[in-house]
Amino acid sequence: MAYVSMGEAHRRITEYLNRFCDAVSYQDSSMLCRLLSFSSNSPSLLSLADALNVFQDASSLIRQSDKFSEYGEILAHLFRSLQSYRVGNLVEAYLAFEKFANAFVQEFRNWESAWALEALYVVCYEVRILAEKADKELTSNGKSPEKLKAAGSLLMKVFGVLAGKGPKRVGALYVTCQLFKTYFKLGTVNLCRSVIRSIETARIFDFEEFPRRDKVTYMYYTGRLEVFNENFPAADTKLSYALQHCNPERERNIRMILKYLIPVKLSLGVIPKDELLQKYNLHEYMNVVQALRKGDLRLLRHALQEHEDRYVFPLTSYCTYLHLNCIVAVFLRSGVYLVLEKLELQVYQRLMKKIYIIQKLSDPARAHQLKLEVIAKALRWLEIDMDLDEVECIMTILIYKNLVKGYLAHKSKVVVLSKQDPFPKLNGKPVGS
Amino acid sequence: MYLATEAMTILRVEILLTCPSSSELALLCVLSGKESQENACVISQCLRGFMETPLNHPQISLSRRTLSAADVQASDVRPLSVLEETLSYLLSLLDSREHPFEVVHDFIFDRTRSIRQDLSIQNLASEGVIHLYEEIVKFHVISRQRLQGCSGTSISSMHHLNMEQLAKTLTTLYNIYDANRKPDYIYENEAEFRSLYVLLHLNTSSGVMGEPLSLWFRKLTSNLIKSKEMCFVRKLLRSYRNGNYRSFLRTTASEATYLQYCISEPHIREMRSFAVECINNVCYKLQPYPLLRLSHNLMMKEMDVESLCHECGLEIRTDSDGSIVLPTKQTNFCRPKEGFRNYDLIGIEVERLL
Repeated sequence: MAYVSMGEAHRRITEYLNRFCDAVSYQDSSMLCRLLSFSSNSPSLLSLADALNVFQDASSLIRQSDKFSEYGEILAHLFRSLQSYRVGNLVEAYLAFEKFANAFVQEFRNWESAWALEALYVVCYEVRILAEKADKELTSNGKSPEKLKAAGSLLMKVFGVLAGKGPKRVGALYVTCQLFKTYFKLGTVNLCRSVIRSIETARIFDFEEFPRRDKVTYMYYTGRLEVFNENFPAADTKLSYALQHCNPERERNIRMILKYLIPVKLSLGVIPKDELLQKYNLHEYMNVVQALRKGDLRLLRHALQEHEDRYVFPLTSYCTYLHLNCIVAVFLRSGVYLVLEKLELQVYQRLMKKIYIIQKLSDPARAHQLKLEVIAKALRWLEIDMDLDEVECIMTILIYKNLVKGYLAHKSKVVVLSKQDPFPKLNGKPVGS
Repeated sequence: MYLATEAMTILRVEILLTCPSSSELALLCVLSGKESQENACVISQCLRGFMETPLNHPQISLSRRTLSAADVQASDVRPLSVLEETLSYLLSLLDSREHPFEVVHDFIFDRTRSIRQDLSIQNLASEGVIHLYEEIVKFHVISRQRLQGCSGTSISSMHHLNMEQLAKTLTTLYNIYDANRKPDYIYENEAEFRSLYVLLHLNTSSGVMGEPLSLWFRKLTSNLIKSKEMCFVRKLLRSYRNGNYRSFLRTTASEATYLQYCISEPHIREMRSFAVECINNVCYKLQPYPLLRLSHNLMMKEMDVESLCHECGLEIRTDSDGSIVLPTKQTNFCRPKEGFRNYDLIGIEVERLL
């Protein structure tokens, strides 16, 4: 921390107080945002924090002027939070910021227009970020992390303030997205249900009124929830919306959307181009896509297994990150593993199609008859040992689920394919629907 | 036992028994709310039903204490050692043949809830507590299986309540496993008991415990994911979701523990009826499917396959060479009703089940 004289400290604090009060008086939201954004670590905020730690009694400065004392409670908590933040005492920083946020939201309610919405967004963002940092500090000291959970409660309160008929309601989706991020981090995604219900059913909200950025984030998270619930058509709709409306320059965001959209599309029979996977660094899907194209069951199983063993890095699920230092698989951690496992039937379908095509080249008259023994042999080439009973079982399922058209002549241990379109495409519907 | 009072307060009956033939306390429950002659009479009848020694035996003392359910004092809560003995005694009654299973279940059900309540009040989380919860889970799992074979108007609600308590007990057990966990450490039976969650959620719509499997897997440690028990249920999950009845049945027969088998039974039935449906649907009409072959594929006795086909609304016939066959492309197929009978899984290793 650089040396600051008392005089300089006094000057910095007074300057901040003036800026804050002027921002409120002149309804200058962007100025207010800059004054509240702790996590930006801007030089002006850091230098203010140094000044506060030298001056120590900023409350006396606030009380001295009517202009400042009007926002006395807000500013006192804000300063305490900033001081603690600067010296790395993150739990104290969060606690004071929470009090500031409560006081700020009370004032916000009294302002008739929605001029301070952007500043409120900053407050909500900082509450979440500070809470995460505070929980890390608690865990490192062997204590139970609880601040992010508390932040969730505060954000719900803010949501309630915005869920009204006036112009402030367009801010509700931003707060919803902050709640999603909180609940996903905590692993309590079931709590998303109540806000989703409010957004999607309350008459005061018109989804099209919300800012585009918030709509994209909302659709991304609700799309992920549909993936977890294995509701693929709904997941496709939401994640595709997010992709179409996402800023094309935000490559990181596009990658995040594709990470979930790709397995959903695969389960609906839509295969992405390799260029897309390369452009957005989605190499973990390359072998899966290849397996689907070639009908290579061994490659699919290996691809899923590889990303269980090979990709190891600290767990990002919040609670276990704080409590443990464990290693989990890419696909399991992101929640798409079960989606990818279900691609097996499509891989089988592709394999049968390849056998059919090869047979058509060598003996067109008999190409439509797939002997179970030949299928078993093809699987053995792929190092998959399967007896004829299980091969018969697989073919029975493929025909039943309309991935193969034909019938099973079990006596002769042959599948007789339909002469027309024996391997129907999924056409955007999940297998078996 | 739990008795309903006029005010619908839950009562627990406390009876302290000492018996000359057994060393310590056999049963402990707490009567709270209003005592009445009627309640006392019911209690005595129930006790006579379960105790070998008659209640008027000179060496049995019977005492009752009246407590408010809301005012449980620390001194009223049984210590861990007493809870362990109580549970051990209760579970020894599971194989009792003197009474119908639903009566035995009901008796043990109430008392295990009481044990869990005492554990919860004390907020204990030791290996001994884990063992108690694991044993209670076992009770609920075995009950789930055995209640299937019972009949009566109350069985359906008993089954529902049993599943509810199974879910609650599992949730508490998992929370205790997670609390104060050392890095990379798994408790002795944790992998098996975690695997039960997967088996309860094979079907995406089952939602017994609320959280979808995709989310649930995210929270597991790497050691748990790679454990033998979790690999087994993940294989079963893949087979189930892909409809691979052959792999599902074979894997269950060769690798399931007793608890896993009990939980899997409804899915075994489901996969078998699905197999019959598929075969009826896809096989060549002029080649009826031999029941002997079907019994081999479904790992059932041939006469059980006959029974299954009938339950699915399908007719079977005897072929010219004397073999029993399933004519295919029948249009009468229907999924068997809930609670239809269990059939043995041929090939399951009995020793592992004991």
